[in-house]
Amino acid sequence: MRRREFLRRAAYAGTGLAIAPSILAACGGDAGGASGDLQIGTPESPVTLRTVGEPIADGLAPESGTLELLNWADYVNPETLAAFESAFGVKVNVTIYDSEEAALVKLRNGTFAPDLVMGMTDTALARLVAAELLQPLNRSYVPNFANVIAGLRDPYYDRGAQYTVPYVIYGNGIAYRTDVIDRSRFTDGDGLGAMWDAAYRGRLAVIDSYRDTIGMALMRDGGEDVNTGDEDLLRAAGESLLALREATNPKVDIISYQELPGGNRDIAYVWGGDALAMPMYLPEGVDPGVIGFWWPETTATANDFFCIPRASTKPVLAHAFIDFLSDRDRALANATYVGYQPALEGITVDEYVAATGIPDSLTDALVTPERYASGLRFHSLDPAVDAVWNDVWAGFTAG
Amino acid sequence: MSRRRAGGTWGALAAPGMAWLGAMFLVPLYAVACVAFGRIDPIFRDALPEWDPRAWRFDEAGAVLSSLADGPLRAVAVRTVAYVAIAMVLALALGFPIAYYLARHAGRWRLPLLALIVVPYWVNYLMRMMAWYNLLSPSGLGARALRLVGIERNWMDGSSVAVVLGLVYGYVPFIILPLYATLERLDWRLVEAARDLGAGPRQAFRLVTLPLARAGTAAACVLIALPMFGDYYTNDLLSRSPRTEMLGNQIDFYLNASTQPQRGAVLVLLLSVLLLVGLSSYLRSTDRTARERER
Repeated sequence: MRRREFLRRAAYAGTGLAIAPSILAACGGDAGGASGDLQIGTPESPVTLRTVGEPIADGLAPESGTLELLNWADYVNPETLAAFESAFGVKVNVTIYDSEEAALVKLRNGTFAPDLVMGMTDTALARLVAAELLQPLNRSYVPNFANVIAGLRDPYYDRGAQYTVPYVIYGNGIAYRTDVIDRSRFTDGDGLGAMWDAAYRGRLAVIDSYRDTIGMALMRDGGEDVNTGDEDLLRAAGESLLALREATNPKVDIISYQELPGGNRDIAYVWGGDALAMPMYLPEGVDPGVIGFWWPETTATANDFFCIPRASTKPVLAHAFIDFLSDRDRALANATYVGYQPALEGITVDEYVAATGIPDSLTDALVTPERYASGLRFHSLDPAVDAVWNDVWAGFTAG
Repeated sequence: MSRRRAGGTWGALAAPGMAWLGAMFLVPLYAVACVAFGRIDPIFRDALPEWDPRAWRFDEAGAVLSSLADGPLRAVAVRTVAYVAIAMVLALALGFPIAYYLARHAGRWRLPLLALIVVPYWVNYLMRMMAWYNLLSPSGLGARALRLVGIERNWMDGSSVAVVLGLVYGYVPFIILPLYATLERLDWRLVEAARDLGAGPRQAFRLVTLPLARAGTAAACVLIALPMFGDYYTNDLLSRSPRTEMLGNQIDFYLNASTQPQRGAVLVLLLSVLLLVGLSSYLRSTDRTARERER
């Protein structure tokens, strides 16, 4: 083969390299349509989800082998996993996801069949149930369910907690470097406006989650409906985000819990639990008080939950894991790594601070039952409304 | 064995591989088209590929074209072309002198130097980019060292500079190696002849070396430009800002994190067509040159 022919063929191969990842991404297979209608619960209109299949029978022994866990990154303490492995003589393998959409795709197309899912919220639950991806729980395996915050034992998104057990609670707000930004910046009546302040250009981040970040823009504009289907309001929020983009050139990701304590950012809109985790990522010797947190009087509050996929091959062990992490002491030990506040009754602010060592500047990020109850909630959206939200988000991220 | 018979044998041996390669190109491409022109699940809003071309719908393709013409995607497309063009020129400016030195003057150091160029690239691309991020982020060792010598800059502020330099760093060896292969086999007697006939070093380089290396240089540029057009992880790791989004990022977003996967598939098709058009014009030009030389 002559050199020119070789180069030409190499160029052909290059074409394949350039488009192969995209092609592979698009070949994910036909996941099939949903099996039922969406049942969307709201605080005003709680929903009892239809039951698909039967819970596992009482009194079964936990399975042996490896428990496959689907979870967000850094969202369970490795020491907690080790303790569970030791207690049950099993292995736990964690696979991570970085958005609920990505987790839904994994669960639907069957490329991965976890035994237990952690960290989902009610924005995904209606779809999980409609696709018959979950199994009803047998709470006889979860006696520690009694520890769950009273207001979440019968949640609006899953009356009777048929499919879910709450894991953590949190509220959205702004984490900031107290050595760069004074708290008074947030107390002038337009605290959220700090996210639009060009003074923080290049050192500011928002959450890579269309619900949370568009929700932030809606709240800044005075809106209290973070599930709105009003296209005018959503377009206005989109314009507001474009203004934020022009002023601050924000990072859009979910790693502010590492980057802000690392000194690479000064301000970030975050899930409150991420702020609580930040002191653990500070360089050695740095005062934890360098991290501050502020949230508006009315903000979004939420809880994540555990749920067990219908295809789980170790449902008894999965129930045992939920129960293990619903124990108060183990939940507090887990929080020392995760930061997020367990959704359990009776863990006082003092207890939480003593267990995790968070500084005074972060105690605001702790969610009291009253704060949780009065917060705004994101819930599943009607598909047509969801499309508008996505359209607004695409306009923002396209830069 | 006669030449014709040998050709037949090799053709038969090559046929399964060719068929496999063809299928691995055409089947996924068809699948992408089925996603691009298919439907979405009314509840999950994820892709439901339409395998029957008679039922294909082109509304999302229209929306993408409209956005490329006069919407958010136009800025992304222009930015992608600009980033790739600048990164390619910079990689060429860095890579050509290195390849020239290796081919012409490195002598017994040639192999060790080639190895030194290649060895860092045994480390995974993502790891190398993450290393740069950690070094050059405001609290990183590299940024702190630069501050000591008076260079104060937030390299990771989501600017174009970081992404373009990342692209250059990531792809520069892939331009050096083909350039080296071209220059190493160049008939240097022609350069010497030019010098004997009175050409100065610069004149000989401009009038003899560069034209002789043109095909190889073009191929090297094509080799790095193609993956750069689809690159999304360089921006993801070094910037994470919407202001530096490339087409690859939009494809990733639409396919993996949005409820409009058809738009991602349409972008894949458009990018493929664009690259194929560019590539075929290069191939036509090299074919023409080859035929002229044979005459």
